[in-house]
Amino acid sequence: MDTYLDKLPSFVDEIRSIKDIIITNILLIGQIPSPTFKEKRRSTAFLERLAEFQVDECTTDGYRNPIGIIRGKSRGKPPIFVVAHLDTFFEQEADHNFTVNENTITGAGILDNSLGVGILVSLPEIIRKLNLQFESDIVIAGVIQSIGKGNLRGIRHLLKTWATPIRGAVCIEGFDLGRLSYYSHGMIRCEVECNISESSEVEHRFKPNAILILHEVINQILELRLPQKPRSRVIIGKISGGLKHGIIAYDATLGFEIQSVSYKMVHSIFDDIQDIVDGTSHEYKVDLSLNVISNANASKLEYNHPLVKTTSAILKKLDIKPSSMSSESELSIFLSHKIPAVTIGITHGDHYHQRNSIMEIEPMYKGIAQLIGVIMAIDSGVCDE
Amino acid sequence: MNDNWLKKNTFHFSEFKNLQLLVEAKQRKKLSISLCLPTLNEEKTIAKEIIIMKSELMSRYPLLDEIVVIDSGSTDRTMEIAKSFGADVYEARQILPHLKPYKGKGENLWKALYITKGDIIVYIDADIKNIHHRFAYALIGPLLLNDKIKYAKAFYDRPISIGKNRMRPTGGGRVTELVIRPLFSLHFPELTQIIQPLSGEYAGYRDIFEKIPFPIGYGVETAMILDIYNKWGLDVIAQVDLERRVHRNQDTQALGRMSFAILKTFINRIKALGIIDYKEEVYSEMIQYKLVKEEYTTEIYKLDGFERPPIIEIPEYREKFISFPKTGNLER
Repeated sequence: MDTYLDKLPSFVDEIRSIKDIIITNILLIGQIPSPTFKEKRRSTAFLERLAEFQVDECTTDGYRNPIGIIRGKSRGKPPIFVVAHLDTFFEQEADHNFTVNENTITGAGILDNSLGVGILVSLPEIIRKLNLQFESDIVIAGVIQSIGKGNLRGIRHLLKTWATPIRGAVCIEGFDLGRLSYYSHGMIRCEVECNISESSEVEHRFKPNAILILHEVINQILELRLPQKPRSRVIIGKISGGLKHGIIAYDATLGFEIQSVSYKMVHSIFDDIQDIVDGTSHEYKVDLSLNVISNANASKLEYNHPLVKTTSAILKKLDIKPSSMSSESELSIFLSHKIPAVTIGITHGDHYHQRNSIMEIEPMYKGIAQLIGVIMAIDSGVCDE
Repeated sequence: MNDNWLKKNTFHFSEFKNLQLLVEAKQRKKLSISLCLPTLNEEKTIAKEIIIMKSELMSRYPLLDEIVVIDSGSTDRTMEIAKSFGADVYEARQILPHLKPYKGKGENLWKALYITKGDIIVYIDADIKNIHHRFAYALIGPLLLNDKIKYAKAFYDRPISIGKNRMRPTGGGRVTELVIRPLFSLHFPELTQIIQPLSGEYAGYRDIFEKIPFPIGYGVETAMILDIYNKWGLDVIAQVDLERRVHRNQDTQALGRMSFAILKTFINRIKALGIIDYKEEVYSEMIQYKLVKEEYTTEIYKLDGFERPPIIEIPEYREKFISFPKTGNLER
């Protein structure tokens, strides 16, 4: 392990020397709008770019996840997956044109996850520049339909239909350099929809207000006694509703996520919330529905798993302080398939999910060196035990 | 009217996607190519233009030999940013400093002829938000792959920015449709086949650019087309569809001033060609009115329409370039 670990600091300068190509990839891919379910243009550009960089194989799977393969030396070794999700939070019409300064790039979706996708596309050129050759095939996959209602469909399909064993995987997120995710909490993402028909046949003594109904639901969720162990929480994340200031709201939607280290507990909390919703619906005589948007099983690698320990050592070698956190994205699907995997971040930044999201350029080179280090670690066998 | 030109000399950028083919043609013809970006306060877009062109057309495919930024005196960080990403940056007033300096895009383009070394020069505006290397290679392509073509001009769909973070899918090109196309229809119907005569992106052989005058301001694109057309004919010109270009939107008053400069350039040309005879000189001031606190205030803009002569007439230029002429195969 030490042999490649010692090389990592020198990789940083080598990677910086092709910064024009790396930043160009981030711009050319990231400036293409790619809201969930509408990733086609970005996906096509992703494949075209990979083809231009002459990866050995370029294709899409049956779900139209774009994939490039860099062939390894050994036919017998299973492949290593490197993935980043192609979709972003921003709608098609939003201005996706980035602004580049000496030290930063600013624009909608840059940190989540246009930077990650740009690095993924640059990987063939970076590997060529560093003069590396791997035993395993490197499968470069941009996965679609990951965020929100996408419910990780792209990665689920890719892994479900991949015919051969997978040696290990690295998931790339733009933000934040130093993150080391090796566990996923169990999660159910839900929406509560409240509709009050204007011409309701139901007799109301007092006309209900959809926003106030959801307010009542929120209050009851907050009254739930959540256990300290297994650690669990409900995050109220989104709310929308109503038409204008002077009219009672007839529609409202509440988005929230139940998270726990135990998926059984997630289900138990979900059942409690279902009861709250049903009770409120009955009490106020309104249409109230609880819909599951996405879910993920709790899964994890142990901290002493060689992949986690090695990744941590790689970060330290590059003077990056590792910070563990859960990830409920692609990582959870790899782990639920018993494929050793980690999620790492590429650089520092600010305004993570805002239109003026900003990434720092210089730390990115260390972030890429770290990615190369993890691929080398998997290739050297840390996931093979 | 030669209406075959539209079919014959109109290309799509995808026809020139094979960059290796372009590099081979360039090497076979022993040509060098310069990219010039004229700037004035373009700190938001300049870095992107330099990085993408450098990455794709210098590092990966050696199509461009230099990227030169000619600045009109930016007060923002345009010049520092451009330098930090490796472009050669010049202030227009420091080039040929003994000449009286003027401020304007045309001035920058003209002075770029003295600074750049290429046999082919590509001019690209520095305010393009969705810059892509096709903006350069697709204009170079017709020049390298077709011996008759000496000047290639861009056209595109032009979405415009409407307020913060929102785009409108069509728009732009108002001065073209309201000013230039009617004028061309009246006097040079053949030229109406040029879809966007005012587009700011074009490439051509030095042999062409050095022999035509450059208005210092907005009239430069109009003058270029009229002069090339009158000197060498329509067949040396090509146009290339670059599809989508996102740029800043200008207000109507600014477009009015642009139209004034273009009209002046046009009138000068048709007068010189003897097509029309004016009994007296036209004025050089654009007068506009603004409603301020319920009162109209007058705003007068002096737009002389000054033109730089063909740069080949400048002794310093001749000394620098004529001692080792390169071929664009045009008669000098």
